[in-house]
Amino acid sequence: MPPDTLRDGEALLMRERELLAREERVFVTHTRRDAARIFTLQVAFLAALLLAWWAASGTLVDPLFLSDPISVLRVLYEIVVDGTLWWHLEWTLIEMALGYVLGVSLGLALAIVISGIPWGTQIVRPMMLGLFAIPKVALAPLVIVWFGIYLVPKVVLAASLVLFIVYFNTVAGIAAVNPRMQEVLRVMGASPFAVLTKLTLPSAMPYIFTGMRITVPGSLIGAIIGEFLSSNRGIGFLIAAASSRYDTARVFAGILSLLVFVLLLNAAISRLERRLARWQPLSNGKTKL
Amino acid sequence: MTADDIVLQARNVYKVFIARGGRARTALRNVELTVRRGEFMCLIGPSGCGKSTVLNMFAGLVTPSDGEILHSGRVITDVNTRVGYVTQDDNLLPWRTAIANVELALECKGMPRAERRERALDYLARVGLKGQEELYPHELSGGMRKRVSIVRTLVDESVDVILMDEPFGPLDAQTRLILQDELLRLWHGTGRTIIFVTHDIVEAIALSDRIAIFTSVPGAIKDIREVTLPRPRDVFHIHETPGFSDIYDGIWNDLREEILKTRSADAA
Repeated sequence: MPPDTLRDGEALLMRERELLAREERVFVTHTRRDAARIFTLQVAFLAALLLAWWAASGTLVDPLFLSDPISVLRVLYEIVVDGTLWWHLEWTLIEMALGYVLGVSLGLALAIVISGIPWGTQIVRPMMLGLFAIPKVALAPLVIVWFGIYLVPKVVLAASLVLFIVYFNTVAGIAAVNPRMQEVLRVMGASPFAVLTKLTLPSAMPYIFTGMRITVPGSLIGAIIGEFLSSNRGIGFLIAAASSRYDTARVFAGILSLLVFVLLLNAAISRLERRLARWQPLSNGKTKL
Repeated sequence: MTADDIVLQARNVYKVFIARGGRARTALRNVELTVRRGEFMCLIGPSGCGKSTVLNMFAGLVTPSDGEILHSGRVITDVNTRVGYVTQDDNLLPWRTAIANVELALECKGMPRAERRERALDYLARVGLKGQEELYPHELSGGMRKRVSIVRTLVDESVDVILMDEPFGPLDAQTRLILQDELLRLWHGTGRTIIFVTHDIVEAIALSDRIAIFTSVPGAIKDIREVTLPRPRDVFHIHETPGFSDIYDGIWNDLREEILKTRSADAA
Protein backbone atom coordinates (compact mmCIF):
# COMPACT_ATOMS: atom_id res chain seq x y z
CA MET A 1 0.00 0.00 0.00
CA PRO A 2 1.64 3.27 -1.06
CA PRO A 3 1.60 6.20 1.37
CA ASP A 4 -1.42 8.44 1.08
CA THR A 5 0.64 11.32 -0.21
CA LEU A 6 1.49 9.29 -3.28
CA ARG A 7 -2.13 8.88 -4.21
CA ASP A 8 -2.55 12.61 -4.02
CA GLY A 9 -2.66 13.91 -7.61
CA GLU A 10 -0.01 16.58 -7.08
CA ALA A 11 2.40 14.14 -5.44
CA LEU A 12 1.90 11.60 -8.19
CA LEU A 13 2.66 14.22 -10.77
CA MET A 14 5.87 15.18 -8.96
CA ARG A 15 6.94 11.57 -8.83
CA GLU A 16 6.20 11.13 -12.52
CA ARG A 17 8.27 14.20 -13.34
CA GLU A 18 11.13 12.84 -11.29
CA LEU A 19 11.01 9.52 -13.10
CA LEU A 20 10.88 11.23 -16.45
CA ALA A 21 13.81 13.48 -15.59
CA ARG A 22 15.88 10.49 -14.50
CA GLU A 23 15.05 8.61 -17.67
CA GLU A 24 15.85 11.62 -19.78
CA ARG A 25 19.21 12.11 -18.05
CA VAL A 26 20.16 8.49 -18.63
CA PHE A 27 19.25 8.86 -22.27
CA VAL A 28 21.20 12.10 -22.71
CA THR A 29 24.35 11.07 -20.84
CA HIS A 30 24.40 7.90 -22.83
CA THR A 31 24.46 9.64 -26.20
CA ARG A 32 26.75 12.39 -24.92
CA ARG A 33 29.23 9.85 -23.67
CA ASP A 34 29.09 8.09 -27.05
CA ALA A 35 29.60 11.37 -28.86
CA ALA A 36 32.64 12.22 -26.72
CA ARG A 37 34.13 8.79 -27.32
CA ILE A 38 33.67 9.09 -31.08
CA PHE A 39 35.23 12.54 -31.07
CA THR A 40 38.28 11.33 -29.13
CA LEU A 41 38.79 8.51 -31.60
CA GLN A 42 38.45 10.88 -34.52
CA VAL A 43 41.17 13.13 -33.09
CA ALA A 44 43.40 10.14 -32.34
CA PHE A 45 43.00 8.84 -35.88
CA LEU A 46 43.92 12.22 -37.34
CA ALA A 47 46.93 12.49 -35.03
CA ALA A 48 48.12 9.04 -36.11
CA LEU A 49 47.88 10.02 -39.77
CA LEU A 50 49.83 13.23 -39.18
CA LEU A 51 52.45 11.31 -37.24
CA ALA A 52 52.82 8.75 -40.04
CA TRP A 53 53.14 11.58 -42.55
CA TRP A 54 55.76 13.28 -40.43
CA ALA A 55 57.70 10.01 -40.01
CA ALA A 56 57.55 9.09 -43.70
CA SER A 57 58.64 12.46 -44.96
CA GLY A 58 62.40 12.59 -45.42
CA THR A 59 62.82 8.87 -44.62
CA LEU A 60 60.59 6.91 -47.02
CA VAL A 61 59.65 9.73 -49.37
CA ASP A 62 61.50 12.81 -50.61
CA PRO A 63 60.07 15.90 -48.83
CA LEU A 64 59.84 17.51 -52.28
CA PHE A 65 56.85 15.22 -53.02
CA LEU A 66 55.20 15.07 -49.65
CA SER A 67 56.53 17.99 -47.62
CA ASP A 68 55.84 17.41 -43.90
CA PRO A 69 53.12 18.42 -41.44
CA ILE A 70 55.23 21.00 -39.66
CA SER A 71 56.25 22.89 -42.82
CA VAL A 72 52.67 22.77 -44.01
CA LEU A 73 51.36 24.17 -40.74
CA ARG A 74 54.06 26.86 -40.85
CA VAL A 75 53.00 27.96 -44.34
CA LEU A 76 49.37 27.77 -43.35
CA TYR A 77 50.09 29.99 -40.35
CA GLU A 78 51.97 32.48 -42.56
CA ILE A 79 49.24 32.78 -45.17
CA VAL A 80 46.58 33.10 -42.50
CA VAL A 81 48.48 35.85 -40.71
CA ASP A 82 49.46 37.90 -43.77
CA GLY A 83 45.93 37.66 -45.19
CA THR A 84 46.94 35.76 -48.35
CA LEU A 85 44.65 32.86 -47.52
CA TRP A 86 41.61 35.05 -46.99
CA TRP A 87 42.35 37.02 -50.16
CA HIS A 88 42.23 33.82 -52.22
CA LEU A 89 39.54 32.05 -50.22
CA GLU A 90 37.21 35.01 -50.57
CA TRP A 91 37.40 34.80 -54.33
CA THR A 92 36.89 31.04 -54.44
CA LEU A 93 33.98 31.42 -52.05
CA ILE A 94 32.31 33.98 -54.29
CA GLU A 95 32.71 31.78 -57.38
CA MET A 96 31.49 28.76 -55.50
CA ALA A 97 28.51 30.50 -53.90
CA LEU A 98 27.37 32.05 -57.17
CA GLY A 99 27.78 28.74 -58.99
CA TYR A 100 25.99 26.86 -56.23
CA VAL A 101 23.03 29.22 -56.14
CA LEU A 102 22.82 29.20 -59.94
CA GLY A 103 23.02 25.40 -60.07
CA VAL A 104 20.45 24.85 -57.33
CA SER A 105 18.00 27.38 -58.78
CA LEU A 106 18.30 26.01 -62.30
CA GLY A 107 18.08 22.39 -61.11
CA LEU A 108 15.00 23.15 -59.00
CA ALA A 109 13.29 25.23 -61.67
CA LEU A 110 13.93 22.64 -64.40
CA ALA A 111 12.71 19.80 -62.18
CA ILE A 112 9.52 21.64 -61.21
CA VAL A 113 8.70 22.69 -64.78
CA ILE A 114 9.58 19.38 -66.42
CA SER A 115 7.74 17.35 -63.76
CA GLY A 116 4.64 19.39 -64.58
CA ILE A 117 4.70 18.26 -68.23
CA PRO A 118 3.21 14.83 -69.02
CA TRP A 119 6.08 12.36 -69.57
CA GLY A 120 8.40 15.38 -69.35
CA THR A 121 10.98 13.79 -67.08
CA GLN A 122 11.08 10.60 -69.16
CA ILE A 123 11.55 12.56 -72.39
CA VAL A 124 14.55 14.55 -71.17
CA ARG A 125 16.01 11.76 -69.05
CA PRO A 126 18.61 10.41 -71.54
CA MET A 127 19.78 13.94 -72.30
CA MET A 128 20.02 14.89 -68.64
CA LEU A 129 21.88 11.69 -67.80
CA GLY A 130 24.27 12.30 -70.69
CA LEU A 131 25.01 15.86 -69.65
CA PHE A 132 25.38 14.72 -66.06
CA ALA A 133 27.87 12.01 -67.04
CA ILE A 134 30.19 14.24 -69.10
CA PRO A 135 33.33 14.94 -67.06
CA LYS A 136 33.05 18.65 -66.45
CA VAL A 137 36.85 19.01 -66.67
CA ALA A 138 36.52 18.17 -70.35
CA LEU A 139 34.15 21.09 -70.76
CA ALA A 140 36.42 23.54 -68.98
CA PRO A 141 38.38 24.74 -72.06
CA LEU A 142 35.12 25.27 -73.95
CA VAL A 143 33.63 27.15 -71.04
CA ILE A 144 36.62 29.46 -71.05
CA VAL A 145 36.23 30.06 -74.79
CA TRP A 146 32.56 30.88 -74.23
CA PHE A 147 32.70 32.86 -71.02
CA GLY A 148 36.21 34.32 -70.89
CA ILE A 149 38.68 33.96 -68.07
CA TYR A 150 37.20 36.12 -65.37
CA LEU A 151 34.52 35.12 -62.86
CA VAL A 152 31.84 33.66 -65.13
CA PRO A 153 33.53 30.42 -66.35
CA LYS A 154 34.19 29.37 -62.74
CA VAL A 155 30.61 30.06 -61.78
CA VAL A 156 29.38 28.07 -64.78
CA LEU A 157 31.63 25.11 -63.98
CA ALA A 158 30.56 25.15 -60.34
CA ALA A 159 26.89 25.32 -61.38
CA SER A 160 27.31 22.43 -63.82
CA LEU A 161 28.41 20.17 -60.98
CA VAL A 162 25.38 21.13 -58.90
CA LEU A 163 22.54 21.42 -61.38
CA PHE A 164 22.06 17.81 -62.45
CA ILE A 165 22.15 16.21 -59.03
CA VAL A 166 19.69 18.78 -57.67
CA TYR A 167 17.54 18.18 -60.76
CA PHE A 168 17.48 14.39 -60.38
CA ASN A 169 16.84 14.53 -56.65
CA THR A 170 14.02 17.04 -57.02
CA VAL A 171 12.41 14.98 -59.79
CA ALA A 172 12.57 11.89 -57.56
CA GLY A 173 11.08 13.86 -54.65
CA ILE A 174 8.23 15.19 -56.76
CA ALA A 175 7.51 11.71 -58.13
CA ALA A 176 7.28 10.37 -54.57
CA VAL A 177 4.47 12.72 -53.53
CA ASN A 178 1.49 10.78 -52.17
CA PRO A 179 -1.14 10.82 -54.94
CA ARG A 180 -3.99 10.54 -52.41
CA MET A 181 -2.83 13.73 -50.70
CA GLN A 182 -2.77 15.38 -54.11
CA GLU A 183 -6.38 14.35 -54.69
CA VAL A 184 -7.40 15.61 -51.26
CA LEU A 185 -5.91 19.01 -52.06
CA ARG A 186 -7.53 19.19 -55.46
CA VAL A 187 -10.95 18.39 -54.01
CA MET A 188 -10.30 21.16 -51.46
CA GLY A 189 -10.07 23.50 -54.42
CA ALA A 190 -6.31 24.07 -54.32
CA SER A 191 -4.90 25.72 -57.45
CA PRO A 192 -1.94 24.01 -59.18
CA PHE A 193 0.29 26.63 -57.57
CA ALA A 194 -1.16 25.89 -54.13
CA VAL A 195 -0.61 22.15 -54.67
CA LEU A 196 3.01 22.93 -55.57
CA THR A 197 3.73 25.14 -52.55
CA LYS A 198 1.59 23.39 -49.95
CA LEU A 199 2.20 19.77 -50.90
CA THR A 200 4.71 18.98 -53.64
CA LEU A 201 7.66 21.07 -52.49
CA PRO A 202 7.36 20.40 -48.73
CA SER A 203 6.95 16.70 -49.48
CA ALA A 204 10.00 16.68 -51.79
CA MET A 205 12.06 18.74 -49.33
CA PRO A 206 14.08 15.85 -47.87
CA TYR A 207 15.11 14.81 -51.42
CA ILE A 208 15.91 18.37 -52.41
CA PHE A 209 17.93 18.88 -49.28
CA THR A 210 19.95 15.74 -49.87
CA GLY A 211 20.71 17.02 -53.37
CA MET A 212 21.70 20.40 -51.99
CA ARG A 213 23.97 18.90 -49.37
CA ILE A 214 25.86 16.45 -51.57
CA THR A 215 26.52 19.09 -54.24
CA VAL A 216 28.30 21.58 -51.97
CA PRO A 217 31.69 19.93 -52.54
CA GLY A 218 30.84 19.78 -56.27
CA SER A 219 30.49 23.53 -56.49
CA LEU A 220 33.90 23.90 -54.85
CA ILE A 221 35.43 21.43 -57.30
CA GLY A 222 33.98 23.41 -60.21
CA ALA A 223 35.44 26.66 -58.93
CA ILE A 224 38.86 25.08 -58.33
CA ILE A 225 38.95 23.45 -61.80
CA GLY A 226 38.18 26.82 -63.33
CA GLU A 227 40.96 28.43 -61.33
CA PHE A 228 43.47 25.76 -62.32
CA LEU A 229 42.88 26.53 -65.97
CA SER A 230 43.19 30.28 -65.90
CA SER A 231 43.07 32.68 -62.99
CA ASN A 232 45.07 35.09 -60.90
CA ARG A 233 43.19 34.70 -57.66
CA GLY A 234 41.56 31.92 -55.64
CA ILE A 235 42.64 28.83 -53.71
CA GLY A 236 42.96 26.92 -56.98
CA PHE A 237 45.32 29.59 -58.24
CA LEU A 238 47.29 29.47 -54.97
CA ILE A 239 47.72 25.71 -55.29
CA ALA A 240 48.53 25.79 -59.03
CA ALA A 241 51.06 28.59 -58.59
CA ALA A 242 52.78 26.86 -55.65
CA SER A 243 52.84 23.59 -57.54
CA SER A 244 54.56 25.17 -60.54
CA ARG A 245 57.30 26.34 -58.13
CA TYR A 246 57.54 22.87 -56.51
CA ASP A 247 56.47 24.46 -53.24
CA THR A 248 54.81 21.31 -51.89
CA ALA A 249 54.22 22.70 -48.41
CA ARG A 250 52.22 25.57 -49.87
CA VAL A 251 50.24 23.16 -52.07
CA PHE A 252 49.30 21.12 -49.03
CA ALA A 253 48.50 24.25 -47.06
CA GLY A 254 46.04 25.21 -49.79
CA ILE A 255 44.47 21.74 -49.84
CA LEU A 256 44.24 21.66 -46.05
CA SER A 257 42.48 25.01 -45.94
CA LEU A 258 39.95 23.71 -48.48
CA LEU A 259 39.41 20.62 -46.34
CA VAL A 260 38.71 22.63 -43.20
CA PHE A 261 36.45 24.92 -45.19
CA VAL A 262 34.38 22.04 -46.58
CA LEU A 263 33.99 20.46 -43.14
CA LEU A 264 32.73 23.73 -41.68
CA LEU A 265 30.32 24.13 -44.54
CA ASN A 266 28.98 20.62 -44.04
CA ALA A 267 28.42 21.21 -40.35
CA ALA A 268 26.49 24.39 -41.12
CA ILE A 269 24.27 22.58 -43.61
CA SER A 270 23.52 19.68 -41.26
CA ARG A 271 22.47 22.19 -38.65
CA LEU A 272 20.14 23.95 -41.04
CA GLU A 273 18.71 20.63 -42.17
CA ARG A 274 17.91 19.54 -38.63
CA ARG A 275 16.09 22.80 -38.05
CA LEU A 276 13.97 22.38 -41.18
CA ALA A 277 13.15 18.74 -40.46
CA ARG A 278 11.68 19.44 -37.03
CA TRP A 279 8.34 17.93 -38.00
CA GLN A 280 9.86 14.49 -38.54
CA PRO A 281 9.92 11.89 -35.77
CA LEU A 282 13.35 11.08 -34.38
CA SER A 283 14.71 7.71 -35.40
CA ASN A 284 14.61 6.49 -31.77
CA GLY A 285 10.86 7.08 -31.69
CA LYS A 286 11.16 9.87 -29.14
CA THR A 287 9.60 13.19 -29.88
CA LYS A 288 11.70 16.28 -30.08
CA LEU A 289 10.88 18.77 -27.35
CA MET B 1 -39.26 14.52 -54.21
CA THR B 2 -38.43 17.66 -56.17
CA ALA B 3 -35.18 18.24 -58.06
CA ASP B 4 -34.00 20.55 -55.28
CA ASP B 5 -34.05 17.71 -52.80
CA ILE B 6 -31.51 15.75 -54.82
CA VAL B 7 -27.89 16.69 -54.24
CA LEU B 8 -25.94 13.90 -55.93
CA GLN B 9 -27.05 11.50 -58.57
CA ALA B 10 -25.45 8.60 -60.40
CA ARG B 11 -27.31 7.86 -63.60
CA ASN B 12 -26.80 4.59 -65.38
CA VAL B 13 -23.12 4.57 -64.42
CA TYR B 14 -20.69 1.97 -65.73
CA LYS B 15 -17.01 1.69 -65.00
CA VAL B 16 -14.66 -0.57 -66.89
CA PHE B 17 -11.03 -0.85 -65.87
CA ILE B 18 -8.37 -2.18 -68.15
CA ALA B 19 -6.76 -5.06 -66.28
CA ARG B 20 -3.26 -6.34 -66.88
CA GLY B 21 -2.98 -8.01 -70.28
CA GLY B 22 -5.44 -5.53 -71.75
CA ARG B 23 -8.56 -7.36 -70.63
CA ALA B 24 -11.52 -5.26 -69.56
CA ARG B 25 -12.83 -5.71 -66.05
CA THR B 26 -16.26 -4.28 -65.31
CA ALA B 27 -16.26 -2.71 -61.86
CA LEU B 28 -19.67 -1.04 -61.89
CA ARG B 29 -22.72 -1.79 -63.98
CA ASN B 30 -25.80 0.34 -64.30
CA VAL B 31 -25.45 2.12 -60.96
CA GLU B 32 -28.50 4.25 -60.22
CA LEU B 33 -28.21 6.20 -57.00
CA THR B 34 -29.88 9.33 -55.74
CA VAL B 35 -28.65 11.13 -52.64
CA ARG B 36 -31.09 13.49 -50.95
CA ARG B 37 -29.99 16.84 -49.60
CA GLY B 38 -29.19 16.68 -45.90
CA GLU B 39 -29.30 12.90 -45.51
CA PHE B 40 -26.70 10.58 -44.07
CA MET B 41 -26.28 7.77 -46.55
CA CYS B 42 -24.09 4.72 -46.18
CA LEU B 43 -22.80 2.64 -49.08
CA ILE B 44 -22.24 -0.93 -48.01
CA GLY B 45 -21.22 -4.01 -49.96
CA PRO B 46 -18.70 -6.83 -50.28
CA SER B 47 -15.07 -5.73 -50.61
CA GLY B 48 -14.08 -4.83 -54.15
CA CYS B 49 -17.67 -4.11 -55.20
CA GLY B 50 -16.84 -0.60 -56.39
CA LYS B 51 -18.42 1.46 -53.60
CA SER B 52 -15.25 3.52 -53.19
CA THR B 53 -15.19 4.03 -56.96
CA VAL B 54 -18.66 5.57 -56.76
CA LEU B 55 -17.37 7.88 -54.02
CA ASN B 56 -14.40 8.85 -56.19
CA MET B 57 -16.83 9.62 -59.00
CA PHE B 58 -18.83 11.93 -56.73
CA ALA B 59 -15.51 13.68 -55.97
CA GLY B 60 -14.81 13.95 -59.69
CA LEU B 61 -11.59 11.97 -59.34
CA VAL B 62 -12.84 9.05 -61.47
CA THR B 63 -14.86 9.48 -64.66
CA PRO B 64 -17.59 6.95 -65.48
CA SER B 65 -17.05 4.84 -68.59
CA ASP B 66 -20.72 5.39 -69.34
CA GLY B 67 -23.56 7.25 -67.70
CA GLU B 68 -23.22 10.47 -65.74
CA ILE B 69 -22.76 11.88 -62.27
CA LEU B 70 -24.67 14.99 -61.30
CA HIS B 71 -24.17 17.40 -58.44
CA SER B 72 -27.22 19.64 -57.87
CA GLY B 73 -28.32 18.87 -61.42
CA ARG B 74 -24.97 19.69 -63.06
CA VAL B 75 -22.85 16.97 -64.67
CA ILE B 76 -19.48 16.52 -62.95
CA THR B 77 -16.70 16.60 -65.53
CA ASP B 78 -13.72 17.67 -63.43
CA VAL B 79 -12.59 17.52 -59.79
CA ASN B 80 -15.63 18.38 -57.71
CA THR B 81 -14.58 21.12 -55.29
CA ARG B 82 -18.11 21.44 -53.92
CA VAL B 83 -17.63 18.34 -51.78
CA GLY B 84 -15.34 17.52 -48.88
CA TYR B 85 -13.49 14.22 -48.98
CA VAL B 86 -12.34 12.19 -45.99
CA THR B 87 -10.06 9.46 -47.31
CA GLN B 88 -9.51 6.03 -45.85
CA ASP B 89 -6.04 6.92 -44.57
CA ASP B 90 -5.92 10.19 -42.69
CA ASN B 91 -3.55 11.72 -45.31
CA LEU B 92 -2.55 14.58 -43.04
CA LEU B 93 0.42 16.63 -44.19
CA PRO B 94 3.15 15.44 -41.81
CA TRP B 95 5.03 18.75 -41.85
CA ARG B 96 1.98 20.67 -40.67
CA THR B 97 0.70 20.80 -37.10
CA ALA B 98 -2.84 19.62 -36.35
CA ILE B 99 -4.24 23.10 -36.61
CA ALA B 100 -2.30 23.92 -39.78
CA ASN B 101 -3.75 20.77 -41.32
CA VAL B 102 -7.25 21.85 -40.37
CA GLU B 103 -6.66 25.27 -41.88
CA LEU B 104 -5.54 23.79 -45.20
CA ALA B 105 -8.91 23.80 -46.99
CA LEU B 106 -9.72 27.28 -45.69
CA GLU B 107 -6.32 28.46 -46.94
CA CYS B 108 -7.08 27.03 -50.37
CA LYS B 109 -10.37 28.90 -50.38
CA GLY B 110 -8.58 32.13 -49.46
CA MET B 111 -10.08 32.74 -46.03
CA PRO B 112 -8.22 35.42 -44.00
CA ARG B 113 -5.70 34.12 -41.49
CA ALA B 114 -7.37 35.19 -38.25
CA GLU B 115 -10.75 33.89 -39.29
CA ARG B 116 -9.55 30.48 -40.37
CA ARG B 117 -7.50 30.08 -37.22
CA GLU B 118 -10.51 30.82 -35.06
CA ARG B 119 -12.65 28.39 -37.05
CA ALA B 120 -10.02 25.64 -36.86
CA LEU B 121 -9.61 26.10 -33.10
CA ASP B 122 -13.36 25.83 -32.65
CA TYR B 123 -13.63 22.61 -34.65
CA LEU B 124 -10.62 21.00 -32.96
CA ALA B 125 -12.13 21.82 -29.56
CA ARG B 126 -15.37 20.13 -30.61
CA VAL B 127 -13.57 16.80 -31.04
CA GLY B 128 -11.67 17.16 -27.79
CA LEU B 129 -8.35 18.28 -29.26
CA LYS B 130 -8.15 21.56 -27.38
CA GLY B 131 -4.56 22.07 -26.28
CA GLN B 132 -3.19 19.61 -28.88
CA GLU B 133 -3.41 22.00 -31.78
CA GLU B 134 0.32 22.49 -32.19
CA LEU B 135 1.22 18.79 -32.27
CA TYR B 136 2.48 17.20 -35.47
CA PRO B 137 0.62 14.18 -36.91
CA HIS B 138 3.34 11.76 -35.77
CA GLU B 139 2.77 12.94 -32.21
CA LEU B 140 -0.95 12.08 -32.33
CA SER B 141 -2.62 8.71 -31.81
CA GLY B 142 -4.50 7.01 -34.65
CA GLY B 143 -7.85 8.17 -33.27
CA MET B 144 -6.63 11.74 -32.88
CA ARG B 145 -5.25 11.80 -36.42
CA LYS B 146 -8.59 10.56 -37.67
CA ARG B 147 -10.38 13.33 -35.76
CA VAL B 148 -8.08 15.93 -37.32
CA SER B 149 -8.69 14.41 -40.74
CA ILE B 150 -12.49 14.59 -40.32
CA VAL B 151 -12.42 18.06 -38.85
CA ARG B 152 -10.22 19.39 -41.62
CA THR B 153 -12.97 18.43 -44.06
CA LEU B 154 -15.93 19.61 -41.97
CA VAL B 155 -14.28 22.94 -41.12
CA ASP B 156 -14.85 24.16 -44.67
CA GLU B 157 -18.49 25.14 -44.34
CA SER B 158 -18.68 26.23 -47.96
CA VAL B 159 -19.12 22.57 -48.90
CA ASP B 160 -22.36 20.91 -47.87
CA VAL B 161 -21.60 17.41 -49.09
CA ILE B 162 -19.06 15.26 -47.27
CA LEU B 163 -17.74 12.01 -48.76
CA MET B 164 -16.19 9.53 -46.35
CA ASP B 165 -14.36 6.40 -47.49
CA GLU B 166 -14.30 3.86 -44.65
CA PRO B 167 -12.80 6.49 -42.36
CA PHE B 168 -12.99 4.35 -39.21
CA GLY B 169 -11.70 1.16 -40.83
CA PRO B 170 -8.29 0.89 -39.19
CA LEU B 171 -9.39 1.99 -35.70
CA ASP B 172 -9.98 -0.25 -32.70
CA ALA B 173 -13.60 -1.03 -31.75
CA GLN B 174 -13.90 1.44 -28.85
CA THR B 175 -12.32 4.37 -30.68
CA ARG B 176 -14.58 3.58 -33.59
CA LEU B 177 -17.71 3.91 -31.48
CA ILE B 178 -16.52 7.14 -29.92
CA LEU B 179 -15.74 8.62 -33.32
CA GLN B 180 -19.11 7.53 -34.72
CA ASP B 181 -20.75 9.34 -31.83
CA GLU B 182 -18.62 12.46 -32.39
CA LEU B 183 -19.36 12.43 -36.10
CA LEU B 184 -23.12 12.28 -35.49
CA ARG B 185 -22.87 15.19 -33.05
CA LEU B 186 -20.85 17.25 -35.53
CA TRP B 187 -23.30 16.51 -38.31
CA HIS B 188 -26.65 16.63 -36.51
CA GLY B 189 -28.63 19.74 -37.32
CA THR B 190 -26.13 21.11 -39.84
CA GLY B 191 -28.20 20.10 -42.84
CA ARG B 192 -25.10 18.77 -44.56
CA THR B 193 -25.17 15.63 -46.66
CA ILE B 194 -22.83 12.77 -45.78
CA ILE B 195 -22.08 9.77 -47.99
CA PHE B 196 -20.22 7.21 -45.98
CA VAL B 197 -18.64 4.01 -47.31
CA THR B 198 -18.36 1.13 -44.86
CA HIS B 199 -18.54 -2.62 -44.73
CA ASP B 200 -19.75 -2.72 -41.14
CA ILE B 201 -23.54 -3.24 -40.96
CA VAL B 202 -23.86 -2.00 -37.37
CA GLU B 203 -21.93 1.14 -38.21
CA ALA B 204 -24.15 1.73 -41.23
CA ILE B 205 -27.33 1.37 -39.15
CA ALA B 206 -26.03 3.55 -36.33
CA LEU B 207 -25.17 6.41 -38.70
CA SER B 208 -27.49 6.42 -41.69
CA ASP B 209 -30.85 7.60 -42.81
CA ARG B 210 -30.59 5.29 -45.80
CA ILE B 211 -28.26 2.47 -46.71
CA ALA B 212 -27.41 1.56 -50.30
CA ILE B 213 -26.42 -2.08 -50.58
CA PHE B 214 -24.11 -3.03 -53.42
CA THR B 215 -23.97 -6.34 -55.24
CA SER B 216 -20.66 -8.13 -55.58
CA VAL B 217 -18.41 -7.07 -58.45
CA PRO B 218 -19.39 -5.81 -61.00
CA GLY B 219 -21.17 -3.58 -58.49
CA ALA B 220 -24.72 -2.39 -58.87
CA ILE B 221 -27.24 -1.16 -56.33
CA LYS B 222 -29.00 -4.23 -54.99
CA ASP B 223 -31.26 -2.55 -52.51
CA ILE B 224 -31.80 0.67 -50.63
CA ARG B 225 -33.03 0.47 -47.05
CA GLU B 226 -34.38 3.22 -44.84
CA VAL B 227 -33.15 3.36 -41.25
CA THR B 228 -36.07 4.81 -39.34
CA LEU B 229 -34.47 4.67 -35.89
CA PRO B 230 -35.06 7.97 -34.07
CA ARG B 231 -32.33 10.61 -33.76
CA PRO B 232 -30.25 11.58 -31.85
CA ARG B 233 -28.98 8.02 -31.67
CA ASP B 234 -26.98 6.29 -29.00
CA VAL B 235 -24.31 4.51 -31.03
CA PHE B 236 -23.07 2.64 -27.96
CA HIS B 237 -26.42 0.91 -27.49
CA ILE B 238 -27.73 1.00 -31.03
CA HIS B 239 -28.18 -2.77 -31.11
CA GLU B 240 -30.68 -2.49 -28.22
CA THR B 241 -32.85 0.03 -30.02
CA PRO B 242 -36.24 -1.42 -30.98
CA GLY B 243 -36.34 -2.22 -34.67
CA PHE B 244 -32.57 -2.64 -34.92
CA SER B 245 -32.53 -6.39 -35.51
CA ASP B 246 -35.13 -6.25 -38.28
CA ILE B 247 -33.01 -3.75 -40.17
CA TYR B 248 -29.87 -5.74 -39.46
CA ASP B 249 -31.38 -8.99 -40.67
CA GLY B 250 -32.71 -7.35 -43.82
CA ILE B 251 -29.30 -5.97 -44.74
CA TRP B 252 -27.53 -9.16 -43.82
CA ASN B 253 -29.87 -11.18 -46.05
CA ASP B 254 -29.00 -8.92 -48.98
CA LEU B 255 -25.31 -8.99 -48.23
CA ARG B 256 -24.97 -12.68 -47.51
CA GLU B 257 -25.88 -13.68 -51.05
CA GLU B 258 -23.39 -11.21 -52.47
CA ILE B 259 -20.59 -12.23 -50.14
CA LEU B 260 -21.19 -15.89 -50.99
CA LYS B 261 -20.99 -15.00 -54.68
CA THR B 262 -17.68 -13.22 -54.12
CA ARG B 263 -16.37 -16.24 -52.25
CA SER B 264 -17.32 -18.73 -54.93
CA ALA B 265 -15.79 -16.40 -57.54
CA ASP B 266 -12.58 -16.30 -55.50
CA ALA B 267 -12.53 -20.07 -55.24
CA ALA B 268 -13.05 -20.54 -58.98
